[in-house]
Formats: sequence, C-alpha cells, structure tokens
Amino acid sequence: MRRTRERRTLVALAAVVPLLLTGVAACGSDPGGEGGEVTITFVWWGSDGRANLTKKAVELFQQKNPKIKVQTSFSAYAAYWEKLATQTAGGKPPDVLNVDTRYLAEYGGRGVLADLNQSTGKAISLTDINPELAATGVYQGKRYAVPWAQNTPAMLYDPAAFTAAGADPAKGLTWDQYADATRKVSAASGFAARGATDFGILDTTLEIWLRQQDKQFYTPEGKLGFTADDLRRYWQLAGRFRDAKGASPADVTASYNTSPEQSPLGKKLTSSEFAYDNLLPAYQKANGKPLNVAPYPTDGGGNTGQYRRPSMFLSVSARSQQQEAAAKLVDFLVNDPEVGKIVGTDRGLAPNLKVRAQLAGSAKGADKTLYDYEAALEPKLGAAPPVPPKGAGAIQKLLQRTYEEVAFGRMSIDDAVSRFMSEAEKGLK
Amino acid sequence: MTTVRTPDPPVAPEATARVRRRDRPPGRRRKSQPEAFAFLTPWLLGAVALTVGPMVVSLYLSFTDYDLFTSPKWVGFGNFAHMFTDDDRYLQSVKVTLIYVLVSVPLKLAVSLMVAMLLNTRRGANGFYRAAFYAPSLLGASVAAALVWRALFMGGGPVNEVLAFFGWHTPSWVDDPQFSLASIVLLGVWQFGAPMVIFLAGLKQIPAELHEAAAIDGAGAFRRFRHITLPMLSPVIFFNLVMEAIHAFQAFTPAFVIGGGRGGPADADLFYTLYLFEVGFQDFRMGYASAMAWVLLAVIAIVTAIVFRTAKLWVFYDDAEERT
Repeated sequence: MRRTRERRTLVALAAVVPLLLTGVAACGSDPGGEGGEVTITFVWWGSDGRANLTKKAVELFQQKNPKIKVQTSFSAYAAYWEKLATQTAGGKPPDVLNVDTRYLAEYGGRGVLADLNQSTGKAISLTDINPELAATGVYQGKRYAVPWAQNTPAMLYDPAAFTAAGADPAKGLTWDQYADATRKVSAASGFAARGATDFGILDTTLEIWLRQQDKQFYTPEGKLGFTADDLRRYWQLAGRFRDAKGASPADVTASYNTSPEQSPLGKKLTSSEFAYDNLLPAYQKANGKPLNVAPYPTDGGGNTGQYRRPSMFLSVSARSQQQEAAAKLVDFLVNDPEVGKIVGTDRGLAPNLKVRAQLAGSAKGADKTLYDYEAALEPKLGAAPPVPPKGAGAIQKLLQRTYEEVAFGRMSIDDAVSRFMSEAEKGLK
Repeated sequence: MTTVRTPDPPVAPEATARVRRRDRPPGRRRKSQPEAFAFLTPWLLGAVALTVGPMVVSLYLSFTDYDLFTSPKWVGFGNFAHMFTDDDRYLQSVKVTLIYVLVSVPLKLAVSLMVAMLLNTRRGANGFYRAAFYAPSLLGASVAAALVWRALFMGGGPVNEVLAFFGWHTPSWVDDPQFSLASIVLLGVWQFGAPMVIFLAGLKQIPAELHEAAAIDGAGAFRRFRHITLPMLSPVIFFNLVMEAIHAFQAFTPAFVIGGGRGGPADADLFYTLYLFEVGFQDFRMGYASAMAWVLLAVIAIVTAIVFRTAKLWVFYDDAEERT
C-alpha cells in the first residue's frame, strides 16, 4: 500500500513542479558614472543595417562629448515595445528612446516621457524643423517627443509591371484606374502574382483614404473619426480589388507583416503595396527589381490625403537621472549635419531642413528618388493628424484581424464592421 | 523451439532500502534536521524571490487595473467578470487552447507510444534511432524549430509543393485560418521525444514472461497489446498524460512564432498564453493579464485533479499483493 502511495506521490510531484515554475523574472543593469563621466542608455527599433548606421552616429557623439558614454541597444518593432513596456514597469526606462506616433499618447500620457517644453528641452533646437512636423511631438500641450525623421505614406510599385499594364502610378491614378491596372498586372502572370497587396488590413491606408474625403481616423479628442458606413465603403473598395483578383489572395494578405522583407511586395507575390516612401530601398533590396514610389490613388482631384509624417520620434525618459546629457544626444541626432550624412534616408528625410537641403544636393540612387518624390509632393502635403490616442497600437491589429475574417469569407463585411466598431470603442475608452 | 532465458534481475540497492523501510514500524519518521534546511536555503531563496514573490504580486494585480506605469487600482473581481462576459477574444483563446489540448495530447501520446514500441526491440541500430527520434523534443519550445516549421508550411513551401504533386492544392497552411492550428498541432506531435523515452523505459519494465505466457496461450499481437502492454504501462501513460496536458495548456512559442506574433490569421492561433502576453505587454493591461494567468493556473490544477481522480479507474499498479 505504501509503495503505491509513494509512486503516486512521485507522479504527483513531477506533475505539479512545472506548474509552480510558471513565474516571471525581471532583471536590470545599473550603469553608474564616475569622475564627472555620465552614462546614458539609448534604444531604438529596426534592422541590423539601421543599427550599424545609428551606432556610427552615436560614436561620433561620444567623440564630440567625451564626458558622455552612451550604451545602445535595439530590437525589431514588435519586440521593442514589449521590452520597453517591461523595462518601464520595472522602473528603469532607457534615458533616450525611440517612440512611434501610435504609442506617443500611451507613454507620454502616462508620465513616462519628459516634457521637453521644460528645462530639459532647452538643449534641443527645433528652429530648423518644419513647424507642422515639429508639432506632431506635442500631446495635450506637452512636448513629449522630437521628430527624428520625416516620411510620407506612399505607394511602392514595380514600374515595369505597371507600364506593361498601361498605367503610370507616378503620375497619379484614380482608385478605378488603380483597380483596373492591378487586375491587368495579375492577369499578365496568369494570376499567380497579383497587382496589389490587399490594403483592407492597413490602418495607414484607411487613414489616407479618409483624409481624401476630409475625414480623419482619430478626432483630437481621441475617438474614432469615421463611422461604420465609412469603414464599410473602405472594405467594399478593397473587396473590389480582391474579387477581381487584382489584390492578393487572403492567405498572402494574412502573411503581411510590417517588415519589407516579409511583406508580399518584398516576396514578389504582388507588384504594389502601400507603405512609406523611406522604405523604398529596403523593399527594392527584398524584391530584387527596381521599384518606384508613387502618390496615393485618389478620386479627389489633387487631394491625395498624404501628409508630413514623423516617421519616428526621439524622447527623453521622465525618470532619467541624466536628462541634460540625454537632451544633448537628442539634439545631436536631430540637428547635426554629419549625422544626416551617416544615417542617410534610412528612417526618412532629415528633420532639420538645412541638413536636408544639403543632403538632397548630393543624393544618388534610391535616396535621390526619395528626395525628388518628396520635393514634388511637398506643396501638396498636409499637416499630420492629431496624435493618436492611447490604444492606437491595438486598433491597428484589430483592423487587420477583422478584415481577415472578411477576406477569408468567414464573416460578412457588415458583421466585421460592427465587430470592429464595438471593439474599437472598448479599446479607446 | 528456443528457450528464452531471462536473467535474474540484479537487486537494486533502492529496492533493498525500500524493503528495509517497510520493515520499520509504522509511524516512526526521521526528525527534520536543520542541516537539511541549511542546504536547501539557496533553492528556497531562489524559489521565494523568483517564483513565490512574483506569484503573490500577480495574485494581487489580478484584482486591479494596472497599466504598468501608474499605480494599480483595485477593481475586485472586475477582471474575472470581464473575461467571461465581455471579451470575445478571451473566449476565442479558450476555444483554440482547448482544441489544441484535446487534439494534440492524445495524438502525441499515441505517436510516442507507437514509436517507443517500434524501438523496443534488440536490433543494433536502435540506439541511433532512439537518439534521432528524441532529438526534436530537445528543441522543445525552441524558436528555431517553429521558424523552420513556418518555412515548411508557408505558401509555396515544401508542404504545399508535395501536396500539390499529389493533386491537393492547399493555401499557405500557416496563414490560413482553416489550416493554421493544424500545423501547430503537428509541430507539437512531432516533438514526441520526451514521452517516448518514458514509454520506452516503461515497456522495458514489463516482464517478458507475461508476453510469452500469453503467446503460448495463443494471444495475438493485438490482444497482448490490449491486455498486457496497456495495463502494465498504465502508470506511465498516466504520468505522460498529466505532463503533456500541462505542457499543452501552456504552449506559447510555436503559436507565437507560427502565428506571426499576433494570434495567426483571424485569431485562428490565439492561444491562451499568447492572448495573455498580448494583453499584458502590448495593450498595457497587466491586471487583466494577471487575472487570466490565475484562471489558467486554476484550470490546469482542476484538470490535473480530475485526471488523478479518474486514475483509480484505469491505472493499474503492479503491486496487487500489497493492496488490501
């Protein structure tokens, strides 16, 4: 009897121990300064290539400021936010951090970021930055961030495929013309590859489409700026592309992810995709063919709805012990002409207009395409929309998921729209 | 006819110890010794600091609204109520996880038992095969294995090509809500090494005489399996069942990697742990995430308890003479 019980206890123990091991552990390191030297931490998201450029810029900063030591680290976009959330919750946010407009309210509104209108920000010059672009870093009257680069939502496409289909997106298309062209591009490959990546999942494209009709994605109060009917019409537009096989099939659409190498256009499964103009070189590298940037298709005459977008922000942590040094680094990265030369257009155009003018003169290749594109578009570009509210990061994923239900034919557009609206309302409380 | 000679099993020291212990008068236990606790201290410290501490904090957080940055606000049972009344994605995650547990666990046990029986012979190359079959489970929760899996099952990948060769044209498995979960189940089943090794050990414990006697009495392979192997192996099956069920409830990495870090196409791969992670670390609702973690813990405990209860009905311990 006892032996039986012993064996059972053993089994029970073996089963229960892993149960108990479901714990969480967090740890952090604490760099200390000595002899007048200070150490600050600086984090950003992006690829290895971007990291090499950024590290060179930081190297230069350290040469010019021998008393400041900068410890850097970087991760991919999604992992970056998870890591940052954990570090911040643990009370050790980095001193200088890369922030996205979708998360500005989340972090700024919760007191994580320093208000750069106050003394900390004095070291940061904004005089040579387009005032509309500079204003995008202000949320509820407080300057939580400084734009690190400027980009513009744009269409990236394979010019050879579209020329063969008799269309020139660079000159500007209507949505009908775009639909027609994508169908022809698909037909040219026997529908194996498609003319466009299905844009029903993309929040930025929805935003641009709304702006073309003088509507907005978010109101300044942080509510949805569009109605269920707007979203229905947008998904019907996307549905026209999909039904005509101009746009990617559902399983390709579902494989979309924000990195150019893994997006349908980057994998040569489609010939055009809505993204940002500064991603042109990365897309080109992934796709292998020469690509081009074009303005958004529009039915509103000249109004393409595009705007000067802060492609990324730099912020200083409110809890940083070294705010002065941190602000110095931010100013250097934003305004130094040599940094502009080092990092090029990887994140977009330099925010400092003087630096940008210098670089534009000597740009070559894909960089030149980008400068020419933005120069031609500049007079048409509108001001950026208000800072998206807390929860905007989740709304992006919600749009993707609910549209997938439609694309896979698991839900009618009406049902998906009402699910989106009700979940979005809950998420934006 | 060749006679099979079974060597006398060597007497394990553990066995003699057990006998001796049994000879001790009941009720007399060794006194607890302070030295033992001194040696245990490092482990205890680790357990308290890294496991018990965070668990207590998370229990507290589960009753609060906590966004990671500002201090938690007490909401009582609000989080728990929200889960079951107002969160469709939560219910979806429960559904996905239950399907995964109910399909992958029996499948994995069946496959591992089958392979273990194949390897339970005395052929020369078996050492190699045992190692080869065990290898995938060493990669256990590895991201690399999941990445390879994603590459195998994605659009235009090898699986698509092979199936297309046989005339079955499928979409990208990992990106289609109909197939996506199946590809994750297959990954789970493929990593059958751990239960297989345990089954193998269990099979070796079954005395050969039983099979011989049954064979002489004319029992076929299936009847011997059904009436000898299965009952004799039931404690091991029980152990593997409990372990694998717990693992399956907690599966995270394959779903995270194969589902593109977001629950897969149209939430088809939204595992419980994945949703928990998303809520806590992407949506900044750590209070709700903690509440979810405690519900999961409770469910695993209950399921384990139920399995233990039913064990009386089907688990056979080979010590009938000790039962009274």
